[in-house]
Amino acid sequence: MQGKNNKMSAKRIANLAMLTGIALIIFVVELQIPNPFPIPGIKLGLANIVTVYAVYHYRAYEVFMTVFVRILLAAVFCGNFMALIYSFSGSVFCLVGMLLLRKIVDEKHIWIASVLGAVLHNTGQMIAASAVLQTVQIWLYYPFLIVSGCLAGLFTGLCAQLLISRLKNRLDI
Amino acid sequence: MKKAKYKILTAVCILIFVLGVAGCLFVVLSPARNTVNIVRDGEVLYSFDLTKTEDTTFDIYYKDSKNTIEIKGGKIRFSAAECPDKTCVKSGWLSSSAMPVVCLPNHLVIEFANNNSEVDAVAG
Repeated sequence: MQGKNNKMSAKRIANLAMLTGIALIIFVVELQIPNPFPIPGIKLGLANIVTVYAVYHYRAYEVFMTVFVRILLAAVFCGNFMALIYSFSGSVFCLVGMLLLRKIVDEKHIWIASVLGAVLHNTGQMIAASAVLQTVQIWLYYPFLIVSGCLAGLFTGLCAQLLISRLKNRLDI
Repeated sequence: MKKAKYKILTAVCILIFVLGVAGCLFVVLSPARNTVNIVRDGEVLYSFDLTKTEDTTFDIYYKDSKNTIEIKGGKIRFSAAECPDKTCVKSGWLSSSAMPVVCLPNHLVIEFANNNSEVDAVAG
């Protein structure tokens, strides 16, 4: 991080764009994997490997930018614009939580931040869903989302951890 | 000191997970009831007593999108939907009083009504 120059350099923008692109590709590939669980909101969320990485390597507003662009483009690719509301509120919760967590959890324990981030993501989704549907009963999905969020978050977190330790000296991003 | 912090955080993660599993068990083990409501945006569109309703299928429209609901042998489900994800169809028959079947894109919820709704109304 070049502290002097607060403006974004072209290289930084290119890196962020590349991260967004990688996340999008992962997202599209994941769409092809059939989801065995019939509950809305439950999925692996492999694209969040990139999110977790970005949270630990970029400034807050840069992380928000990459994730929001990805969500928007992802909605374009899969054609489900209703999902946008849920993704957006989930991501806001998740990112705010993880950006705070990054202050207390170091890179060697990313999986903890990832699990908590996933649970926060599900919480945001539930809040959006109960606001849209105006049914309190929808919260009964919450435990299922939490369990899936813990497992998916653990998986993506461990993936990110492996990636980071391997990327460390190779890429200047 | 540092180690203690991560122990606590790990414990928090495990606690959340265990609570989630407990919640799932509670929802799955809740028994079915007889009266079913079909709800959109907090408003009850239809109400059926599944023990008395004959087998039927009917459509509910939301803007241009259609959901087909099937009642058969005292059970109810979405048999078809014109939404992109078809999650409601994959959810299958409504079986738990705690967990409704939901179609998010079309704002449609099928749920078991509270059996003793009069009691609840009195109790506030």
